[in-house]
Amino acid sequence: MRKEDTTSNVLVYVELADGAPVKAGLEALTPAHMLTEKNGGDVIAAVLGKGISDAAGLVAAAGADRVITVDSEELAEYDLDAYADILRQIIEKEKPDVVLLGGTGDGKDLAPKLAAIFDAAAAADVTDIKVDGEDAVFVTTEYSGAIYSDVLIEEARPGIATTRSGAFKKPECESRGSVEAADLKVSDGVVKTKVIDTVKEITEAVNLEDAEIIVSGGRGMGSKENFGLVEELAKILGGEVGATRPAIEDGWITKNHQIGQSGKVVAPKLYIAAGVSGAVQHLSGITGSDYIVAINKDEDAPIFSVANVGIVGDAMKVLPVMIEEIRKIREG
Amino acid sequence: MNILVCIKQVPDDSVEVTMGADGKPAVEGITPVVNAFDTYALEMATRLKETLDDGSEITALCIGPDSAKNSLKNCLAVGADYAYLVNNESVDETDAMGIAHILKGAVEKLVAEKGKFDLIFTGKEATDVALGHTGIYLAYKLGAAVITDAMDLEVKGDRVTVKHETEEGHRVIEAPLPVVLTVTKPAYDPRYPTIKNKMAARRKPIDELKLGDLVAMDQLTAKIRTVSEYEPPRRAAGVKIKEESEEESAVKAIQMMVDAKVL
Ligand SMILES: Cc1cc2nc3c(=O)[nH]c(=O)nc-3n(C[C@H](O)[C@H](O)[C@H](O)COP(=O)(O)OP(=O)(O)OC[C@H]3O[C@@H](n4cnc5c(N)ncnc54)[C@H](O)[C@@H]3O)c2cc1C
Repeated sequence: MRKEDTTSNVLVYVELADGAPVKAGLEALTPAHMLTEKNGGDVIAAVLGKGISDAAGLVAAAGADRVITVDSEELAEYDLDAYADILRQIIEKEKPDVVLLGGTGDGKDLAPKLAAIFDAAAAADVTDIKVDGEDAVFVTTEYSGAIYSDVLIEEARPGIATTRSGAFKKPECESRGSVEAADLKVSDGVVKTKVIDTVKEITEAVNLEDAEIIVSGGRGMGSKENFGLVEELAKILGGEVGATRPAIEDGWITKNHQIGQSGKVVAPKLYIAAGVSGAVQHLSGITGSDYIVAINKDEDAPIFSVANVGIVGDAMKVLPVMIEEIRKIREG
Repeated sequence: MNILVCIKQVPDDSVEVTMGADGKPAVEGITPVVNAFDTYALEMATRLKETLDDGSEITALCIGPDSAKNSLKNCLAVGADYAYLVNNESVDETDAMGIAHILKGAVEKLVAEKGKFDLIFTGKEATDVALGHTGIYLAYKLGAAVITDAMDLEVKGDRVTVKHETEEGHRVIEAPLPVVLTVTKPAYDPRYPTIKNKMAARRKPIDELKLGDLVAMDQLTAKIRTVSEYEPPRRAAGVKIKEESEEESAVKAIQMMVDAKVL
């Protein structure tokens, strides 16, 4: 498609998990509104799956002007080829100028798949949108978050982008959009893969993006047992537990606690990092924090360059004292 | 099996990139390396080759500058049997779709020489731009199945079963060959080359494919354009505490946190 063939509508794919819209999907409605407020048009949400009327209602109440549902047996389980084919049909009918997807694992696959189908282009992990005349300039990051890059999709349409989880807040919404069911079928021959099992290894929900206090541990914690100090401090502070990639690879905590380039980007009021060196891939996930406290035995650790307070010392000795002191404060 | 691994050369990802005076990221001084996710892909392919032990061969393919021959030599030292470079120094600007066009052309050229590829590996993304698009684009252009975020795989007959990473765990996905796989960080680390393999790799040729033989130049026109690059606002470093004992340091830090009203 070319630019002149599109409407000014923005299509948002809102992914579902366990029958409810995922946060990243709802967050993508916000930049969609930023575009339609400037250029007119509707924010159209696409919701796919089986038995999804409740979820569609939630999306309509969350800020979509229109919700298009495709509710069918063949969409009961997610499949990249099948879902992309349904979204293709919706895009061909609605001709949106821009298509936004929450930057979940599946969103990050669907975006380039759609770009390939439409011979268009996609921006990844967008953290902000600047509306420049009629065009959307997407703010993205490169080099592990060390550089920001503003990108523009010129002619090819639709312009596709995934939004970085946590970068936009879900819309505050008073109005309620309409819900319309579309009777679409997955085209013959497009599905080349078969999902034979879906395994949930992680059951507890961790909300690092919204946490006000996060205590993180890195490889310097040395063992799963010592990592317990990080968890204990988080607990008495009423915060969440974060971790670096090595701490996760060593099995001290599950991967949904990972912070950084290939984990979550966080912006708490207080971030405490123990035994974390401060690699670029980790720092890019934490620099939005209001106040950073670092504990590291190496005086030259890069983490100190972003810390408001840096404690040079052994975390195994520092953390128990901090836990004790904070307990005293909390108990008044 | 005939296996292809597509690799990209990127600046060493452990070095923090800053903006240069010319308004571009200053990457010239940073050691070029094979993209981390491509090293995971090559390791996965090499382990598969070793498990199958049936004379399977791995070809490494890179689109990049002449200096990327060095990266390809490193690939030859850790599992690749053949290495090809497509020199793209004549291309000013393209995007991931353009790269996928070149890769498709290169795959077709290599297929004519070596027969069909059963598996094509790419990293899930490159550490420089972190897009994660190229593998999916390439699969689409080749009309092959694609399975992303592969952590592990098993080949049985003419099918592959892949452990695909998700936020909450994984899916087990199966597809008939040929398949394009994009590889995430598996449970293992890529191997280091032995001195012997390094020496052997040095003697192996790096073959060049000519860009002009693979694509029409107008296919390389970028559809997505960078309008500006800049550094994010920097945080200033605060105070460092190093008292006689850890206990004193901790108490002092807590006092500062109380004063800053973050507790
Ligand atoms: C493509 C890619 C993506 C990545 N994504 C991420 C990501 O999302 N998140 C992430 O975190 N990393 C990521 N990484 C890894 C990253 O590059 C670093 O390797 C990692 O962040 C380092 O973790 P660490 O600080 O725990 O370990 P190390 O770098 O090993 O640091 C351990 C630190 O602990 C200190 N220490 C040791 N003992 C003690 C003690 N007793 N008391 C106090 N301090 C002590 C040491 O001085 C050292 O500074 C990624 C890497 C790549 C290539």
